[in-house]
Amino acid sequence: MAVDKQKALLFGGAAALRLLLFTVFPGLPSLLAGRVEVSTPVTSFKRLQEGLFLYTHNVSPYDGGLYHQAPLLLPLFSLLPNPSHHPFATNLVFVVVDLLSAYALAQVAQSGTAAVSRLFSSSRRDLRWSSAAIAAGFLYNPFTVLTCLARSTSALTNLFILTAMAKASQGASITFTLALSFAAYLGMHPILLFPPLLILLYDARAAKSKTAPSAWSFTITHTLGLTAVSGGLLVASALLTGSWDFLAATYGVRLLLSDLTPNVGLWWYFFIEMFDSFREFFLGVFWLHAASYMPGLTIRLHKQPLFVACTLTGIFAVFIPYPSIADAALYLSLVPLFRHLFPLMRYTFLASAAVLYASFLGPAFYHLWIYAGSGNANFFYAITLVWSLGLSVIVGDSLFAALRDELDVERPELKGKEVRRI
Amino acid sequence: MALISSILALRRDARILKIPPYLSALCIVIGIAWLLVLPLNEYSRNTYVSENALLPGQVHTYFTGSEHNVFRAYRQEVHAMIDRPVEERSQRLGDIFRSNNLKVATQKYSYHVSNRTIANENVYAILQGPRADATEAIVLIGAWKNMDDEVNNSGVALVLTLARYFKRWSLWSKDIIFLVSGDSTTGPQAWVDAYHDGHDERYVESLKIKSGALQAAVAVDYPAGPWGHRYDKLHVLYDGVNGQLPNLDLFNTAVQIASSQMGIGCAIQRMFDHRDSYKERLQTMLRGMVSQGLGHATGPHSSFIPYHVDAITLSTVGDGWHDEMSLGKTIESLFRSLNNLLEHLHQSFFFYLLIQANRFISIGTYLPSAMLIAVNFSITSIALWVASGRSTEPIPNPASTAPPKDDSAAKKDIAALSTESRQPEMELVEQDDHKALVPKASTAITERHLLFPLLSVLTIHFLGLIPLYMFNTWGAENLSRLYLTFANGTTLLPLVIAWFLSELRPLSTQEVTLIQCFSLLLLGMILAALATLNFSQSFLIGVLATPLSFVRKTNKTWLTAIQLGFLAVLNPVMVAQWSAKLLGADLQEVLVLAAQGWHVWGLWTQVTVWLIWFPAWVLGSVVVAGGVMEGGLVG
Repeated sequence: MAVDKQKALLFGGAAALRLLLFTVFPGLPSLLAGRVEVSTPVTSFKRLQEGLFLYTHNVSPYDGGLYHQAPLLLPLFSLLPNPSHHPFATNLVFVVVDLLSAYALAQVAQSGTAAVSRLFSSSRRDLRWSSAAIAAGFLYNPFTVLTCLARSTSALTNLFILTAMAKASQGASITFTLALSFAAYLGMHPILLFPPLLILLYDARAAKSKTAPSAWSFTITHTLGLTAVSGGLLVASALLTGSWDFLAATYGVRLLLSDLTPNVGLWWYFFIEMFDSFREFFLGVFWLHAASYMPGLTIRLHKQPLFVACTLTGIFAVFIPYPSIADAALYLSLVPLFRHLFPLMRYTFLASAAVLYASFLGPAFYHLWIYAGSGNANFFYAITLVWSLGLSVIVGDSLFAALRDELDVERPELKGKEVRRI
Repeated sequence: MALISSILALRRDARILKIPPYLSALCIVIGIAWLLVLPLNEYSRNTYVSENALLPGQVHTYFTGSEHNVFRAYRQEVHAMIDRPVEERSQRLGDIFRSNNLKVATQKYSYHVSNRTIANENVYAILQGPRADATEAIVLIGAWKNMDDEVNNSGVALVLTLARYFKRWSLWSKDIIFLVSGDSTTGPQAWVDAYHDGHDERYVESLKIKSGALQAAVAVDYPAGPWGHRYDKLHVLYDGVNGQLPNLDLFNTAVQIASSQMGIGCAIQRMFDHRDSYKERLQTMLRGMVSQGLGHATGPHSSFIPYHVDAITLSTVGDGWHDEMSLGKTIESLFRSLNNLLEHLHQSFFFYLLIQANRFISIGTYLPSAMLIAVNFSITSIALWVASGRSTEPIPNPASTAPPKDDSAAKKDIAALSTESRQPEMELVEQDDHKALVPKASTAITERHLLFPLLSVLTIHFLGLIPLYMFNTWGAENLSRLYLTFANGTTLLPLVIAWFLSELRPLSTQEVTLIQCFSLLLLGMILAALATLNFSQSFLIGVLATPLSFVRKTNKTWLTAIQLGFLAVLNPVMVAQWSAKLLGADLQEVLVLAAQGWHVWGLWTQVTVWLIWFPAWVLGSVVVAGGVMEGGLVG
């Protein structure tokens, strides 16, 4: 009972904080929706409004060339009253989305799959935070709050990713397939989470039933299921907009980076500077690089599938074409699940200081570049490099810790000794 | 790899914890010394014009002869308007512009700040450049009243004369806007806000006519009466709101034209008698830094700079032999140079410190000093973070042969105790080929409880909103009383908070360390970010906050008292008091001006003070005051 009260307080507090901020600072959402750190061309609420306007006036939402988000968001948001006059309903939707995400994250934490999976059990598994603490880490993370206030649609993508993780760790096949299809439909890159989460799902199912299901038929069924649901979503989108144009406007933009608005990622600056003749080649290289982590990590760390999925979200936060602080918020709230790895991590202070410094210096340098006119694009880009460095140090450090943790289990005699790579 | 692991091993060395305070102090000393050597020839450079389109002083000026008669007539006209109501004044000014075939419009503004109303009217006229396509414009400003609240009689007359004179030239390739603003700070702000549609229509009227993108603005301040006054020097004002500066090229062009072409000396930062000695250079730089650090408007030009319109004010000072025509010629030549511009001023520096009218220090040279000051906080914060992870139990000396003190109970059993149980637990540390036995407590890392320290730091910073709100919204008549209450209240605040904490929730040593750690981390980070936006502000606040790196909670009452006394002097509220006295300003006026700055100019200084500096001070003082509770009253 006490735990429930605590959770109610936690969720109620988070909702109250968000609604308070929405009410006390009515100009804040629109200000944040215009910030490049929070809203990217593929998640911005302002662009969603533009798409909505065209959609409700029976024009193809992709005709304006501004809207790059999934078509199915349109009927959903057109049900709500116009956010520029009556923002409350829309705000409430985003608050609920955050609460549901936190709930899913709490479920992931509850399942305990972070430290103990079917094939692996960490020697430090007793070191963990309660699911309420981890949900609090998500709900009160300033980056999450800012994303919610900016009403960026990446909040929805995050919700589906977290739900997919929760359902996979509970062994719920159908909801997992649905959630991951939605995540992939909205954000495209979450499709890369399928293999590690499938392993997670398999482990959960194998733990539930006495006999482990056949791996091949399991994989084939779920792949077919994912294809079917995703296909269904795409067909529904095509029926809704009346053509297949949305594919080029949504996934095409993500793949080919046709909108070079600055963001916290690494792509935009490169592709602004690049000669056109090299563009295709480097698009291939960048995508290959971003996607190549998935197979490697999944194979090497197949005993800890949840850790692979979490690390991949960290890699997405750095290496996808349009990252925002929402992606970093997702990763940073997943990291506390691996509390048992913290004693093995070596650069926590360095990495968190880099991330914090970047979050202060980023807006300052953007101001110097865009508003004061006394700086230039290099200022902001330098800071996004520091930001990415901070995140990738956390990713690298936690990977080291996870490998070290595995080593401690495999070779207990080496525990506590300095390892040296030869 | 080997290097990294040896660095990591070094981290476990207990001695390393003793270094940071000295390192912090070294950063501060170097940071301040760095600033002090800047005025030397080795670290400063002569100014130069880098935009080659400007060609300062390359044109012959024709503003002479009969224009002088016109000027004298306008001066009398303007003088006759002084006691007239605002509407009539605007009407008459408009008529003069109109008689010269210029498009004229007016703009009313009325701000409500600290229970006072600031209302007046701007009059402006647009000269459409014969070779221009209305995409670019330059502005000539003559504020009706200057910063000292004198009527800018000759300045406005000069603007009118130049409007008549410029209209007859066919060479303008940019529009020229002549603006007679109601006052020196609020009027130009209202005008430039409305020009960029950034105004609040409840207080400021929209502009009826506009021209193209503003390229530069020059304001004239020449308060001589109807019979004229010969001046000695031009005082060039260049600080913008929030410490932003105009492009150095504009400043250089003005100085070069005035001193080389017209032979008028130029002064900056009220250093009217600059003999180019080290002391005077330093004084000029420090005055510039204080002005930049406060971020207030210093003239009609200040409001333009946040909109990325480079602007300066030329103000006449002293008694000499230069007359109004040489000022007019200077402006003519300056406008001819600006007329040559092919693109927005961008070549030269936006970040600089001037030590003389023709010598400057560039950002690369001076920035490290503020960064070093900011880094000192980060270093202490890292040290505190490491310290918070160490066990709080005293590390026994393993080599000691003396039995533990005051163990009367233990003495009885001493024979029964095995010797090793009295020995501290030892651990083998290996590095490269060296091995050492050290007490376990000196390398063990204890669990940190972050939640309470984090929440208290955030809460105190959030509570800074209260004074920010009160000082900006209360009526002018109550501000001094509010200030007095605050000065007394905040001096006692740390003790009160410490007392409450000791009663309700005594803090562990680790929590105290972590509170200080987070507070300093935040301070260091924000000051580093601020140094890139407003160097002087970051440096000044950094220097005034340096004691926060060194104060610690202690059980010695006298040490606590000294620390608290020292901190009380450096309380931001107290600093406002004594620095106002030092700079010869009236505190009441400063408070009113600050509120005006917040509402009208978009001043950010208060945010830095109330949400960053003040909370950091409160947290540091609470940490120290905790020692009083333990050492004195409670313990």
